This record gives sequence, C-alpha cells and structure tokens, in this order.
Amino acid sequence: MPMTRLPETQHRAIVRTAVILAAIALALFVYTFWRGFK
Amino acid sequence: MATAHHDEHPAGLMRWLTSTNHKDIGTLYLVFALIMLFVGGAMALVIRAELFQPGLQIVQPHFFNQMTTLHALVMIFGAVMPAFTGFANWQIPLMIGAPDMALPRLNNWSFWLLPFAFTLLLCTLFIPSGGPAGGWTLYPPLSVQGGMGTDFTILAIHMMGISSVLGAINVIATILNMRAPGMTLLKMPLFVWTWLITAFLLLAAMPVLAGAVTMLLTDRHFGTHFFDAAGGGDPVMFQHVFWFFGHPEVYILILPAFGITSQIIPTFARKPLFGYESMVYATASIAFLSFIVWAHHMFTVGMPLAGEMFFMYSTMMIAVPTGVKVFNWVATMWKGSMTFETPMLFSIAFVMLFTIGGFSGLMLAIAPADFQYQDTYFVVAHFHYVLVSGAVFSIIAGVYFWLPKWTGHMYNETLGKWHFWLSVIGFNLAFFPQHFLGLAGMPRRIPDYAIQFTEFNQWSSVGAFLFGFSQLLFVAVVVQAVRGGKKAEAKVWEGAEGLEWTVPSPAPYHTFATPPRIK
Repeated sequence: MPMTRLPETQHRAIVRTAVILAAIALALFVYTFWRGFK
Repeated sequence: MATAHHDEHPAGLMRWLTSTNHKDIGTLYLVFALIMLFVGGAMALVIRAELFQPGLQIVQPHFFNQMTTLHALVMIFGAVMPAFTGFANWQIPLMIGAPDMALPRLNNWSFWLLPFAFTLLLCTLFIPSGGPAGGWTLYPPLSVQGGMGTDFTILAIHMMGISSVLGAINVIATILNMRAPGMTLLKMPLFVWTWLITAFLLLAAMPVLAGAVTMLLTDRHFGTHFFDAAGGGDPVMFQHVFWFFGHPEVYILILPAFGITSQIIPTFARKPLFGYESMVYATASIAFLSFIVWAHHMFTVGMPLAGEMFFMYSTMMIAVPTGVKVFNWVATMWKGSMTFETPMLFSIAFVMLFTIGGFSGLMLAIAPADFQYQDTYFVVAHFHYVLVSGAVFSIIAGVYFWLPKWTGHMYNETLGKWHFWLSVIGFNLAFFPQHFLGLAGMPRRIPDYAIQFTEFNQWSSVGAFLFGFSQLLFVAVVVQAVRGGKKAEAKVWEGAEGLEWTVPSPAPYHTFATPPRIK
C-alpha cells in the first residue's frame, strides 16, 4: 500500500482540535488547584 | 500524520513498543486490561478468602486494607478503562471509515504510560510502609498521614490521568475530523457516540482528580493545609473535589458499555436499534447529569438539607435517560429473530443485571435511607452489579463479538457458553448475598465481622472464587481463537451492520486508506 497523507486542511483541523482540548484540560486542572486556595 | 506510515512494520518487541497503528495499540490496551483484570481479581480473592469466616485467618488488617484499595484502583484504572480504550482504538477508526486514529504517536504514548503507572502503583506492596490503604477514594486525613505508598499512588494517578486525557483528546479529534465522507454525526454507530461523550467526560473529570491529588501531595510534603482542619483547611473539600471527578468517572466506566450493548443486541435480534436518536440524547443527558450529582456519595457528611434534597432529586433524574436505554434495548429484542450466541448472552445478562444495579442505586439515592446503607455491603453489592455485570460483562461481550474480526478465527462457542453460565452464576452468588449483608448492617472495608453474617459471606466467597476461576476459561477461548480455528468471514454475524464488517477478517493492518463513501 502506498504511503498516504491526510490533506493539509484535515491535519490542521486535527491539531487545532487537540490544542483546544488540551487547553481545556489544563485550565480545569489549574482551576481546581486555584479553588483549593480560596 | 495519521496515515503517513509504511505498510511494513517492525517485528517482535519493537513492533509493540513503537507502533502507531490503531489495531496494534488496541491490542496492547486489551492485553494490558486482561492482565490487570487478573491482578485485581487476585486481590479480590484475597479479600473474599479472608471474609470466608469471621475473625482474622489469612491476612493482617493493614494488608486487607491495601487489598481493598488496590483492587479498586487496579480494576477501575487498569482493567475497565484500558479495556474500553482498547475497543475505542480497534473499533472507532473501523466504524467511521478512518485509516487510523487522528494522533497516532500520541496514541502510542497514551498506552505506554500505563505499564509504568501500574508498576509504580503495585510496587508499593513491596516497600516498608506498604501500599495505599485508605480506600481508592484517598480521603484525608488517612491519605495525608499514610506512608510513602501514598506518594507513589499519587504519581501513578497523575500518569494514568495524563494517559486518559491524551486518549480522550485523540478520540475526540478522530471522531470530529476523520469520519468518512457522508458519515454525519447521527449516522455514527452508537458505540462511537458513547465514546465521544465518554471522552468529553474524561477531559472534564480527570484534570479535577489531578488537582485533588496534587493538593494532597502538597499537604503531605510542602506545608500546605488544603485538607487539614488544624491548619484552617477542610477535609470535606477533598470529598467534594474527589466526587466531582468520581461520579462522572462512574459514567466513564459505563457509557462505552452502553455503546457495545447497543451494537450487539440489534445484531442478534436482527433488527435495527430501537430509538437510535433517543439513545444518543439519553447518553448526553446522563453525561450532563453526572456532573450535578456528586454529593450523593457524601449524604452522611453533614450537608445542609437543601444540598441533600438537590443531590437526591438530581440523582433520581438519572433513572429517566437510563430507563430510556433499557426500554430501547428491550424494544429492539421485541419480536426480533433472536439467536443466543455468547456475545448476546452476555449482553442480555448485562441488561438484566445492570438494571438490578440501577435499582439499588435508586435506593441509595434516597438520602434518609442512605444514612442506613452508607458504607455497608449494600453499597458494595450495588456498584459490583453496575461495574461487573455492567462494565465487565459488556467488555466480555464485546470481545466475543469482535474477536473473529480481530483474529480472523471463530471462537469456540461451546466454551464461550460455559464461560457465560459459570460467570453469571458465580457473579450472582458472589454479589447478591451482599445486599442482605449490607441491609443487615455489615460494614465494608473491614476484615472481620459479627458471627451472624457468616453464611452469606461464605456463599459470597464461593461465588467469587467460581467467578474468578471461570475467567481462565475466557483466556483459553481467546488464546484458542488467536492461534487458529474456523475461518471467519468478513461479515461474521448474519445481522451485523456497519463498516467494520465490510473489511476482511482478520482486519488488514491498514484499512480505509481510501475513505469509503456513506450513503
């Protein structure tokens, strides 16, 4: 089977989705910790 | 990039260490989960052996406490969650017509964090202070006062959490971006839907657990007093934060089970799933409600009455979408041309026994009644009906269902049926009497008990050993199918629908390099 690559637009959409989700997860972690200080 | 790899793959150990192939990684997750099932199962049998008689016979109380704590952590984070992630890896790309997961290298890392996390967790059994012994909930003050094993556990939980969050990101990115042309969201198989929603739950819940255990760590070593009343902190706050994670976690453990069941029942009833859209909305409703019910785990902690009422009614509301699901599964079977192969048997047992667990959950949701049930064996019976005959039975059903697709061989149906009947009898013998023990007042997590509880405990222990050892039969069936057997066709089951049944069995190493078109 020949090597195939996803179209560039699809690749960018995947990376964008992953970065947004990772930012949400990180924000929730920081928020939980910050709530602990209150 | 998702598909930018060669058709050839390294052989031997390097194949598994470096694989970015969703099928290989799915297999790794499933094998890891099976190993952890036996590790956690061995711990359960230590517990049941000790509880066979009143008094202390086999283990010391501190070791018993380590067993209850580690059994839960291993089964939840090591067996059930990785098993469902294994299914997600194998099946989601096959079901949506994608060539692989969206982020294959991240996928490899998500898996390989797990063996290290569990080595860290399990090696606590060999350090002087022993493993964590304060229960899987890690409540302070016990967890703040515990030995070094607690620190190992916290680090292990961080690693499991990172693995889960990365896995969730991968699942969401795959489903949102890699569906074959024409596969709209409401054309996706229900297993894919339940995993999409589960991934959002993971993403929202795991960072909260990470925050909670980080606060525990700083309380233990860096002079903070988040949970120390003497320093102005509040141990009850840990319970709130923990259960804000913990209750969605329960649904993380059961929503993919709903998905698997929703694939299997229509196949063997030879009818389309009844109420597909209502299943999707019910799943989403359960996910939403799972975030507003957490304090039902804490009714006896001393909450204001308004809080008790709110959490009581919100918890009861979950019965509505869950009822929708059970109704839909039964309606799918209604007047269907049913056959009873092993996956269907486990799925029917799932519907019946999970419903029993749901009903005992409703009993526990009644705040004034919960004051009686709290921390008794009734709770243990309840969550084992939900998690064993619920989550674990659906995992077993899913393995039997897709094993011919994965291996290219049919499994031994006679052995499968033996496995089913021994499991279902052993399970009920182990856990049904625990309802009576709990209602009569036997507390959980205690290695000794009053003499009037002896007989039910003996039944329970016999059932647990029967259930535990019958899983060896499962291993035998799986190994047999991996090694050979009757050749499986592409469409393994007569009533099967979906893209995964359009590829040959075993599924080739690369599938859907050219996306299929969905009408």
